[in-house]
Amino acid sequence: MKALTANRLSDGEVVFWKSGAWVERLTDAEVFVAEDSAVTAETSARAQPTLAIDPYLIDLVETEGFWTPVSYRERIRALGPSNHERHGKQADGGDAVEALRHAHGAARSSGRVNLIRRK
Amino acid sequence: MYRYDAVDRAVLADRAAEFRDQVRRRLSGELTEDQFKPLRLMNGLYLQLHAYMLRVAVPYGSLDPRQMRALADIARRFDRGYGHFTTRTNIQFNWIRLADAPEILDVLAEADLHAIQTSGNCIRNVTADPYAGAAADELEDPRVWCEAIRQWSSLHPEFSFLPRKFKIAVTASPHDRTAAKVHDIGLLLRRGRDGATGFEVIVGGGMGRTPHVGPTLKAFLPSERLFSYLEAVLRVYNRHGRRDNIYKARIKILVAALGAEAFGREVEAEWEKIGVAGDLPGSEIVRIRDAFTRPELADSPAPGDFEARRAAEPAFARFVRNNLKAHKLSGYTIVDVSLKGVGETPGDISADQMDVVADLAERFGQGEIRSTHEQNLVLPHIRLADVHTVWKALDAARLATPNINLISDIIACPGLDYCALANARAICVAQDIARRFEAPDRAEAIGELKIKISGCINACGHHHVGHIGILGVDKKGEEFYQLTLGGSGAEDASVGKMLGPALPIDRVTDAVEAIVDAYLQQRQDGERFLDTLRRTGDAPFREAVYADAH
Amino acid sequence: MPMLIRLSEGVFSQVQDVFVRLGDDEPVVGGDAIVSLGRLLSGDVARAGGGRLGVWLEPGDEVEALEGRLDQVDLVALAFPKFRDGRAFTSARLLRERLGFTGEVRAVGDVLRDQAGFMVRCGFDAFSPADGSTVEAWAAAASRHRHVYQRAADARAPAFLERGRG
Repeated sequence: MKALTANRLSDGEVVFWKSGAWVERLTDAEVFVAEDSAVTAETSARAQPTLAIDPYLIDLVETEGFWTPVSYRERIRALGPSNHERHGKQADGGDAVEALRHAHGAARSSGRVNLIRRK
Repeated sequence: MYRYDAVDRAVLADRAAEFRDQVRRRLSGELTEDQFKPLRLMNGLYLQLHAYMLRVAVPYGSLDPRQMRALADIARRFDRGYGHFTTRTNIQFNWIRLADAPEILDVLAEADLHAIQTSGNCIRNVTADPYAGAAADELEDPRVWCEAIRQWSSLHPEFSFLPRKFKIAVTASPHDRTAAKVHDIGLLLRRGRDGATGFEVIVGGGMGRTPHVGPTLKAFLPSERLFSYLEAVLRVYNRHGRRDNIYKARIKILVAALGAEAFGREVEAEWEKIGVAGDLPGSEIVRIRDAFTRPELADSPAPGDFEARRAAEPAFARFVRNNLKAHKLSGYTIVDVSLKGVGETPGDISADQMDVVADLAERFGQGEIRSTHEQNLVLPHIRLADVHTVWKALDAARLATPNINLISDIIACPGLDYCALANARAICVAQDIARRFEAPDRAEAIGELKIKISGCINACGHHHVGHIGILGVDKKGEEFYQLTLGGSGAEDASVGKMLGPALPIDRVTDAVEAIVDAYLQQRQDGERFLDTLRRTGDAPFREAVYADAH
Repeated sequence: MPMLIRLSEGVFSQVQDVFVRLGDDEPVVGGDAIVSLGRLLSGDVARAGGGRLGVWLEPGDEVEALEGRLDQVDLVALAFPKFRDGRAFTSARLLRERLGFTGEVRAVGDVLRDQAGFMVRCGFDAFSPADGSTVEAWAAAASRHRHVYQRAADARAPAFLERGRG
């Protein structure tokens, strides 16, 4: 499974592709099963360089019923910085954010984390 | 503080207008991202993981209260209420919108601040001794030279597209608080036999992928010849520095490849051709010196109840022991403001804390604030009689952690929590170590110990010159940390040596503790950690960290 | 014929570029030609029909090689293979300030208006913009900054001299 992500040109916000438009939440993102539909989306996104910068595809795995990025870097992008839990998308809280935090056993409360798998 | 004149202000206003136009062209699609990126970087605007980051220059680490309040204003209005002081003595805002950047530059310019050349392959902000103008051990105030270099390097027509970035440090004290020997150029102010000043010029130091302690290119450069010499060094570098490989493009690689002697000959030949025409007139140096406000320091003001408070209040005494440094005048002291509260992000400061520091500088500190490359702040001119009041106010704002140069005074880059280049996080590693060594008696018993953490090989966290250096690496998709021991960024500069295999994140703090315990066992006669290590070598420490692995 | 922006006596104007760049094995057939540094140094530049001669320098070519031959040359084209490759700025300054070249110094390659000011200060007086800049846009970019801090190849007084005049 894959999703298409980029940073929005006007404010740098992390965005995800959904049916020809950009959305801010990974939970709203289009999940590509087929490789060629993902590549087609990437091509369309690259044709709009004044909306988002350098779109690229990321790999997803299922965690607690949600699609979460395989790469740790991408999980930080989808959450926000781990030193400021009220900043970034994680501020919303909810099950999807918890699933991202738990993906591959990231334990954040003690300031330590378990080993994190990245792509 | 250097007072800007109409020329300096016009340069900032014109640069802000230029950037406004560049942003407009990018948003309209007139410029591609590939074209815009070097332009925004020349103005300190990065695209990081979550948003744009704007790096604002704090020229040679000097701020006045009005400027600090402008930074607080930006943090509140355009960011999320905080900023981050960096190892380049600049401040970064993490949550900037591209569309707001032009307005932010206007707000900065109102306070004589800017983001010019805080990134890009150009001459960056000059590093100065944070205690300049106050230190008991300095020859003269190096900031006059820093300001002259700032002007000379700003929008330099020939040297704005160098092979790679270029960093200059200036210090006038025998004790180097600028890490001058790991800069592209380090200028150490000296006094010649006839009493005139000059510089020992160190060229080709650096960190990053290939750390070098720079060699001395010139033992004594008369200060009036500084600018022709800088021009010669930069020109040789601009022409001959490598441009085919970003990792080999810094001047340190050129100096190492040619050898310091051959490189020095090239520079001398070019310098001779440039001649005195490349120097700044002495009258301009005098003008810049006169444009600095002089702190109004009294002749030996009475220390008030400083000693009595110190004797009566152990917490105050601890602050005095760790956060005060000798001022050149009796009755005054230099106060270090710690941005390393236990559990906090190293270098981070809230808008409210910025206002507190601005108020204290205004009321008690001659309007002077400094930022340090170790990510702290300094109030350089505080009367001893006022130290207790200042301490109380800092403490109330959680800025009085008594840990300067101790184990919890850790440098950490933003790492993978923010930075698009990072391989691993740095902040949480610093926080975890600081918590482990939270007990202040223990930290003081350990003494001077500098831990420096970088989230990637670019070494913004100066790990190469940490007594204990920690480098985040990506090992098969996991965050791992490589330890180095024995680095120093001071006058005894050295590059740390790798201790052994990289460790997973949950073993780093244990490893640091094992190193500290080994040091306490080996220590003789109150040696610093670094001195013990240099005496014993790293075997006892390797054994302590990797014993389990045998 | 391609267009070029020229700076002459402080005024930018659009002119037609009459020079033709010749490959090293193309014969000189007359008209104004630009040849490589190697060809110039080899002497294979017999002028047919009295055309003017230009020489093209890549960033790694040292301008000092032109010493003693600049009287044969009407134009030096300095290449910016990439916008970020700043070696030609040094080449231009040396041509003007050290070698005393008074002919045309032309910026070619990845030439964007955002460098117009720096180029003029380093002694360029002809520009072949890659970004489609108009003369007006180029002139505005080149003269955006009211003050400069350094001496360079142009006649502008740096701030330290302006201040000295009070």
